[in-house]
Amino acid sequence: MKAPRNNEPPPKGDAPRKRDAPQAESTATGMKVPGGRDMPREDRLKPPQWPGGRAQPPGASFHVIGRRNRKIEGLAKVTGRAIYADDIALPRMLHAKLKRSIHAHARIVRIDAREALAMPGVHAVITGRDLPEYFGIIPWTQDEQALCETKARYVGDAIAAVAADSEWLAEEALKRIHVEYEPLPAITCIDEALEHPEWRVNEKSSEGNLSKHVHLEFGDVDGELAGSDAVVGGDYWYEGSTHAPIEPHCCVADFDATGFLTLYSSTQVAHYLHRDLAKVLGVKAQRIRVIQPVVGGAFGGKSEPFSLEFCAAKLSMQTGRPVKILYTREEVFYAHRGRHPMRLCYRTGIRRDGTLTGVDARIAIDGGAYSSFGLVTTYYSGQLLTAPYRMSAYRFDSTRVFTNKPCCGPKRGHGSVQPRFAFECQIDKLAEVIGMDPIEVRRRNSIGEHTRTVNGMRITSNGFAECLDEVERASDWKRKFRRLPYGRGVGVAGSMYISGTNYCIYPNEMPQSGVQLKLDRSGRATVFCGASDIGQGVDSVLAMIVAEELGLDLGDIRVVAADTDLTPVDLGSYSSRETFMVGNACLDAARKLREQVAGTLAARWGCAASEITLAGGVACSVRDPERECMSVREAFQATEARHGTLGSVGWYQSPKLGGDYRGGTIGASPAYSFTAHVAEVECDPETGFVRVSNIWVAHDCGRALSPVAVEGQMEGSAYMGFAEAMFEQHVFKPAAVHHGPGLHDGPSLLDYRIPTSLDTPDLVSLIVESVDPEGPYGAKEAGEGPLHPSVPAIANAIHDALGIRCDRLPFHPPRVLSLLRAGDARAAWEKARGRVATAPVAGVGGSGAGRSGAGRSGAGAC
Amino acid sequence: MLTLPAFEWLRPANLDDALAHLANHAAESLVVAGGTDAVPNLKHRLHEPRWIVHLGRLDELRFVRESEGALSIGPLVTLSAIARHEGIRRDFPSLARAASLVASPQIRNMGTLGGNLCLDTRCTYYNQTYFWRDALGFCLKKDGVRCHVVPQGRRCVAAHSSDVSPVLISLDASVDISNARGSRTVPVDEFFVGDGVHNNVLVPGELVTRVTIPAASRGLRAAYQKLRPRAAIDFPMLSVAFAARVSDGGCEHARLVVSALGAKPRRIGGLDALVKGRPLDDALGEALAEAAYRQCRPLTNVAYDDAYRHEMVPVFVRRAVREAGGIA
Amino acid sequence: MLCRLRVNGETRDCAVVPHTTLLEALRYALGLTGSKQGCDKGDCGACTVVIDGESALSCISIALACEGRDIVTIEGLARNGIPHPLQDALDVTGGAQCGFCTPGILMSAWALLERNPRPSRDEIALALSGNLCRCTGYTKIIDAVELAASQSAERP
Ligand SMILES: Cc1cc2nc3c(=O)[nH]c(=O)nc-3n(C[C@H](O)[C@H](O)[C@H](O)COP(=O)(O)OP(=O)(O)OC[C@H]3O[C@@H](n4cnc5c(N)ncnc54)[C@H](O)[C@@H]3O)c2cc1C
Ligand code: SF4
Ligand code: FES
Ligand code: FES
Repeated sequence: MKAPRNNEPPPKGDAPRKRDAPQAESTATGMKVPGGRDMPREDRLKPPQWPGGRAQPPGASFHVIGRRNRKIEGLAKVTGRAIYADDIALPRMLHAKLKRSIHAHARIVRIDAREALAMPGVHAVITGRDLPEYFGIIPWTQDEQALCETKARYVGDAIAAVAADSEWLAEEALKRIHVEYEPLPAITCIDEALEHPEWRVNEKSSEGNLSKHVHLEFGDVDGELAGSDAVVGGDYWYEGSTHAPIEPHCCVADFDATGFLTLYSSTQVAHYLHRDLAKVLGVKAQRIRVIQPVVGGAFGGKSEPFSLEFCAAKLSMQTGRPVKILYTREEVFYAHRGRHPMRLCYRTGIRRDGTLTGVDARIAIDGGAYSSFGLVTTYYSGQLLTAPYRMSAYRFDSTRVFTNKPCCGPKRGHGSVQPRFAFECQIDKLAEVIGMDPIEVRRRNSIGEHTRTVNGMRITSNGFAECLDEVERASDWKRKFRRLPYGRGVGVAGSMYISGTNYCIYPNEMPQSGVQLKLDRSGRATVFCGASDIGQGVDSVLAMIVAEELGLDLGDIRVVAADTDLTPVDLGSYSSRETFMVGNACLDAARKLREQVAGTLAARWGCAASEITLAGGVACSVRDPERECMSVREAFQATEARHGTLGSVGWYQSPKLGGDYRGGTIGASPAYSFTAHVAEVECDPETGFVRVSNIWVAHDCGRALSPVAVEGQMEGSAYMGFAEAMFEQHVFKPAAVHHGPGLHDGPSLLDYRIPTSLDTPDLVSLIVESVDPEGPYGAKEAGEGPLHPSVPAIANAIHDALGIRCDRLPFHPPRVLSLLRAGDARAAWEKARGRVATAPVAGVGGSGAGRSGAGRSGAGAC
Repeated sequence: MLTLPAFEWLRPANLDDALAHLANHAAESLVVAGGTDAVPNLKHRLHEPRWIVHLGRLDELRFVRESEGALSIGPLVTLSAIARHEGIRRDFPSLARAASLVASPQIRNMGTLGGNLCLDTRCTYYNQTYFWRDALGFCLKKDGVRCHVVPQGRRCVAAHSSDVSPVLISLDASVDISNARGSRTVPVDEFFVGDGVHNNVLVPGELVTRVTIPAASRGLRAAYQKLRPRAAIDFPMLSVAFAARVSDGGCEHARLVVSALGAKPRRIGGLDALVKGRPLDDALGEALAEAAYRQCRPLTNVAYDDAYRHEMVPVFVRRAVREAGGIA
Repeated sequence: MLCRLRVNGETRDCAVVPHTTLLEALRYALGLTGSKQGCDKGDCGACTVVIDGESALSCISIALACEGRDIVTIEGLARNGIPHPLQDALDVTGGAQCGFCTPGILMSAWALLERNPRPSRDEIALALSGNLCRCTGYTKIIDAVELAASQSAERP
């Protein structure tokens, strides 16, 4: 295997770049960058061009795309027939469990498994020594072992694994594996990590407990702030949270007598898992097959390899029998990789006319014990803030530290949900200071389409302004903002997000997504693709594209996905890349076959290929559809007779994007989605209880290939953001005299409270279509972007309702009540409404139009 | 998934068989009714009994009966049956209300009145897996020697978390308790003791066989208020049950019970003098709220801000009084 | 021990140790893998089945305790291979994303509609309040139950 290469371009002036030389990633990156520098041109695979572009339908109009189609696997799911990892049972299968550290930080002195191994029905025990190879999702921060070899770094870190006849027996055997520890001082917060570099959490760090530091400046921030009419500063705390997919992680490994390993795993990155399995197990990649069964939710929580996959595989290799590992719900909390807790300090300037000027951010990030995607997280915490608003100058300084807690990673809206919360609250405060309606402030600063951000990101289509219009209209904003009675309020926020990144995680020049398409003379199409459907519906997107291009019914298409033996590589479900990249790859493959089919028919009927229509199972010419007409199946047969066996490949590789500075490619995406939310709240000032009654979500997804799926993503995202805002806290018990720090506060779905159907607001999704020039049929992402504004929109709504600023998450009753007690909230509330009413640009017609009545004031009581 | 510990299975056909078994093996047996508390606790290895004695076939304990104005309910009646029962909703709405606020629909369908009354106390350091408690170093309620809530304390202060029992106390209900030798009746008010390890008066071998609300409790103005973070699934972080007899001359008598704070529900004392002859209004609510606030001390036994829970005591008392008084 | 369960109208025997939950018996002994396990202990509703007409959590039910009771699982909703209107409605509205909460949701919804064929949105939300869904925000799930209820009301 080639040495890992750095995907961040080296500092300027180093061209031509020596892309094969290994380049260590240093922990710290700091520089001042002049605004708007582009990446140097570089040759890359270029996606094919089609007449009319990729945003257009193959014929005069869409037949499948944009319709409210069912998902192709929908009936399997609603009838209980869909097969998830834990539904797989192989003959002679063993069950394994992991022994986990009871200390937050401890040296492993000795592991004695003799007693466990002596139990009848116990087949094997492995420890860190059996799997010493380090791995990690980012090639230059590989700092994890499947089982800790010398040191455990959080309560729950895996130390040993045991395989036995049953799950029960494996659990009993765990108690008979004796581990001798030498406890070390444990670090459980950002400040401790910085104050005690000598208590080294992770030896792979280059300096103390520093995981990554990034400092980037674009333009003259201090000058811009000095020249502003108003500057607002704010300190924010974003609490950690976890994905909590309802399906716990599970895998089944089967190492057969020929030395071939098959691993079924509930993963969202089969390809990366494939690579890391080879590395850690020392088995050639071509002797490993990774199959992703139906996945019961992931949200980023299954986007890298985990201990269970390596351990099941190794135990299968040792015992010669299939091995299953199913995490308990508690273990899912330890696997984590959830939202990083962040402390964010912002200074933001504005001019009286509403123009944003300079933005200065200092961000401290609690990373947990390992790196995971942390390098990217640290960049994302700054790089993804530069739209949808234009800013003249921007600086961020982000530091990620290691702590003795489960490792944080990418949760839906990776790295950018936290700064977005802080920044959108900042904008609300600035709007109040200059007395302008916060929607108007956002509108005035909207960066627009086909432009470039201050940090050099290329923006193509942009429907943000329309998103603002939509939520303003749907929520009846003008009659509500600053006009509802005390205790009720509305708040707005906006955001943008990436549709995939322009680089693979490990640097290479191969496509980011590949599709093989096979047409059968029976009239059936089969799509082979490495894409990972985790519930968002990418399998259906593939089918819909093929159906659209080849005129088939959705039921005539089979999708074979995420099986490394059968499907070409797609990098997986992360960074909202699937619809955009897989969609483009699939469009490529389908159009190649469509050309053959249309060409065949055109030759037969003596017309132009562009005059052939394939739709609804029928192929015909537009000229004489009555007579020049046959079934699509017959058309396939005619084409096969002319061209031979029918199949095609398609692929997608994004253009090279980003700014020409170290880290300038991180955050660069071929297209960005945009979102705006308005949230409405009803608060009970006596209990601090806030009921979020409505969230209106407008999202620019380019084009909604499947409106049902897009709405589903918008609703699910708004829900998840709402949950973080109001309930969720991935936190740990403080140390006390009788126990150490770092114990999870409550690793269960009872104590980690995800909202029920009764807690969830009415979610209204408003799709905005800006039709991106590079997206498949114009589509962009919809899976993560719509989460971002939930949290600040709710915070801003609470301010409208009560006059308090919720700068720390979650906004649960104890916090809201203490904020109400802390100052004269009522006076702040009166003052805020005075401001907009007297403002010259209040954008509100008439006054006193507020709805009367106290409304349902939801108490904490039921 | 989390497994259950190994046990032997007993499913007696009637009460006598159950009591006969318990007469000899009570200490090694765990009684299970709906299992919604016992089974999670077994999975956490909080109980490791030799026998599980399942009450499912004891149909004789599944009844709702009225006689001479008193209402008696068998311990195997489910919470959803109580919440749905027309007579209970009409005559004792606060009881139906409390039952309807327990956990989730599924758990109310499974969970029984007896199990709710005998619910094990709860604590953030206790209702955790074996692994977690091992990492903690265990606690004196199970497997350990220290209390993590009151480190100097020698008694467990885990929270009584049943929604229904505070209401039963406010309604002056009583429980019938049987063992192989006979039975006794105890007011629910005296059923609980202030020890979180075992917070009721049941001695090994005894079962709850009936709950009775006296005829005298009909016509009480009663209410139940529950603080929970989510609108479903969650246990109470604080609960308030209130009942008062009101006549033309104002309040004659009232009971106010605040729970989910310590090992037993707290009946607020000194009420009679406070309420006598006063109308059930906001002023009275305020007075009761103050008394309750003074008498209650929330602890860090449940993972929800204890100071906040204390602050909410008067708020929830006021609301209970308003609800009982029918004040909009 | 021999455990005799009546599941989806059929009597099924399986050999289990006493400490087997109903969920384990269904999934691992009887091959009825439609019921899911999400939380181990009563907190999420993924394992919901209907026992004697009422929704119940199979992960905290002891299998042997369910002998003699009438159990319906997600596999028992479709009749003669034709999905139940509720299943169809959930598919149409897109209420199943990852689909992992779906079997439990459908069982809770089915028990609701058997008891109350025309529930309001609030009643639906209440009936589903013991079923956590992490994907959908519940909107399309509630839509589906409403849709199924309105469709069966239209049928004679
Ligand atoms: C997620 C979740 C949320 C919950 N939320 C709530 C809540 O909000 N409010 C609440 O009150 N409860 C809650 N519970 C607890 C429990 O579900 C209920 O209290 C239920 O009523 C218990 O009844 P059961 O029949 O299931 O009890 P079981 O689990 O069968 O028994 C509980 C205890 O009572 C004993 N017992 C049962 N019957 C008798 C009897 N007749 N005589 C003597 N002892 C007996 C058992 O030995 C056992 O110790 C929750 C449980 C879960 C899993
Ligand atoms: S109150 Fe103390 S002794 Fe009781 S369960 Fe909690 S920690 Fe243990
Ligand atoms: S698995 Fe049964 S409630 Fe979660
Ligand atoms: S659809 Fe995924 S949890 Fe509900």
